[in-house]
Amino acid sequence: MATAASDPTRHFFQPIIVCLTVASVALTLFVIWISLHDLSLMRAGREKFVGLDNYLRFFGDPRAMAALWRTVLFTTLATVVEIALGLAVVLFLDRDFAMKRLVRTLLLVPIIMTPVVVGLTWRFLFDPATGMANYLLSLAGLSQVDWLGSPQLALYSVLIADIWQWTPFVILLVMAALESAPTDPLNAARVDGAREWQVAWYVLLPMLRRALAIVALIRAIDSIKAFDLFYIMTRGGPALSTETLNYYGYIAAFTNFDISYALAIAIILTIFTNVALLTMYSVLFPKSGER
Amino acid sequence: MANLSIRSVSKSYGAVSVLDDVSVEVEEGSFVVLLGPSGCGKSTLLHAIAGLNPIDSGTIVIGDRNVTNLPARERDVAMVFQSYALYPTMSVAENIAFPLKMRGLDRKTSDEKVVAVAKLLQIEPLLGRKPRELSGGQRQRVAIGRALVRDPRLFLFDEPLSNLDAALRTELRAEIKRLHQSIRRTMVYVTHDQTEALTLADKIVVLKAGRIEQIGTPLSLYDDPDNAFVAGFIGTPRMNFLRATVADGGKTLHAGEASVDISHLATRLEAGRNVMLGIRPEHLDEKQGVTLSLAVDVTERLGSTSYVHGMLPSGETVVAERREDQPRFGETITLRFLPARTRIFDAQGMRIR
Ligand SMILES: Nc1ncnc2c1ncn2[C@@H]1O[C@H](COP(=O)(O)OP(=O)(O)OP(=O)(O)O)[C@@H](O)[C@H]1O
Ligand SMILES: [Mg+2]
Repeated sequence: MATAASDPTRHFFQPIIVCLTVASVALTLFVIWISLHDLSLMRAGREKFVGLDNYLRFFGDPRAMAALWRTVLFTTLATVVEIALGLAVVLFLDRDFAMKRLVRTLLLVPIIMTPVVVGLTWRFLFDPATGMANYLLSLAGLSQVDWLGSPQLALYSVLIADIWQWTPFVILLVMAALESAPTDPLNAARVDGAREWQVAWYVLLPMLRRALAIVALIRAIDSIKAFDLFYIMTRGGPALSTETLNYYGYIAAFTNFDISYALAIAIILTIFTNVALLTMYSVLFPKSGER
Repeated sequence: MANLSIRSVSKSYGAVSVLDDVSVEVEEGSFVVLLGPSGCGKSTLLHAIAGLNPIDSGTIVIGDRNVTNLPARERDVAMVFQSYALYPTMSVAENIAFPLKMRGLDRKTSDEKVVAVAKLLQIEPLLGRKPRELSGGQRQRVAIGRALVRDPRLFLFDEPLSNLDAALRTELRAEIKRLHQSIRRTMVYVTHDQTEALTLADKIVVLKAGRIEQIGTPLSLYDDPDNAFVAGFIGTPRMNFLRATVADGGKTLHAGEASVDISHLATRLEAGRNVMLGIRPEHLDEKQGVTLSLAVDVTERLGSTSYVHGMLPSGETVVAERREDQPRFGETITLRFLPARTRIFDAQGMRIR
């Protein structure tokens, strides 16, 4: 950093940094400013300054609190399951086999598919009368389930779709990390008397920790912001049982036209996200941590 | 009793044969060096012994167990990898303690052993560090420590000293020698440094392109090489090879202007046959014998002795040791050698005895 002042490339990057900073600071300030009013499209032109009212309202709003809890639940489950499942698949696939390239290409399919297609596909699969899911259950002799219609189940049904779509992403990134990791330490551990699970647990996983942490961060951020699958599969229902905070913010803004409250929700979500992710980050990457 | 038997081991990667019918017997407690140029399959052979590389055919026996199909974990060998292969996320102490931990040794005994090994290798102050905070030489010593901390049937070293500075290398070489003499464990040691090979080995296996060229004691490889490759590979500067023709009667060789008496050979060579005459640089500075005249090109001074590079009238380049004087560029000097000190090879490089 000491040389930044004398680095001639600063003429290129400094203006860009300034523009970006100004734009984001201005936008943030503008959003905060609006959230301190009672702007509503129902009463356009008659808004007034209300201070922190919108924020106080949020913490007293049971619907918002429930949505916040659902967001936490969904994010945690999605991240944990996707990482665990992805890692398991990678360790299981960690050998050269003839179809590796093909499998890798197939893994890209869910990631490339637009959420609309994914959501609709899963809605059909989960259809209580004609869906594949219930057909499979009936083959197994199990009773039928109303996947998206039951308030107890709907969130987990969306979760299944999310896991289906994003576990391949985890697999791809972890596979790449695994391939660039040195193999000699694994061999050294084998010579040193480690069983295969010990090799994985003591040597391989610690080496992959950084890659896993980054994938987990990406997945966590994406899950917090998840909107499309909810919109297409359940629209927050039934009985608000799949309404996440992000979705509630959307409802507040575009159904209730309560713009200021929606922005207050967005800001609170942003703050929560940042605090949670920074905590996660400092746990996963301690300052003296290994590369 | 042989502690390690490698019998007809072959291995290829696709069409490339990396090990070709390799057989070596290693006696209990001996120190065997695998020597050969880069890429000749030394590491591959060592990995095969450790059980990290499946072999295509052949048998490997350690002690009295056929380990050919056993996983590395059950072979009870310790190995120092060419790439160090330290566990990047563990501290130096944890690295060295890892094999003990895998054997379920209790913490206290393990700590004591780690400290003892660290003392021996002078890495005690580094025990708390991570591998990436170490220099190349320090990492290598940690890797050696991780092998020494155990008491395996067999030690495998893959160029353990290649990244050390000259002083440390000499010191650790002596340390390994001392260690071997005190614990008397079988060691297989890979290197392409012949000084290491000659000083450490009871027995040297010379490999070239996956094939064994010769197995023997350091002295026998130097004195009595089976072929031109071994003769050229062992000894620095390398042996000079001169074109020569067998003269009438088969008792003399003509190499340029010189006539060399070869009546000491057991083989009778037919007249007119083309052969190679091998003479080591250190054997070209005798008081009497056959003479060659050398047009001096460069002289390397090494203190007690010098090496003269130059050209014979036949156009062949020759390196000769010179103990008395240091001829300069442009001078012509006379080299003398004793016919008994020469080694004769046929056109394919096989030794004629
Ligand atoms: N995984 C592999 N796939 C294909 N060829 C390989 C593989 N590993 C090694 N080889 C080839 O096998 C040959 C022997 O390799 P090896 O590592 O045993 O050489 P080495 O004698 O240890 O050389 P060095 O002294 O440079 O370490 C080389 O020609 C190398 O290119
Ligand atoms: Mg090697």
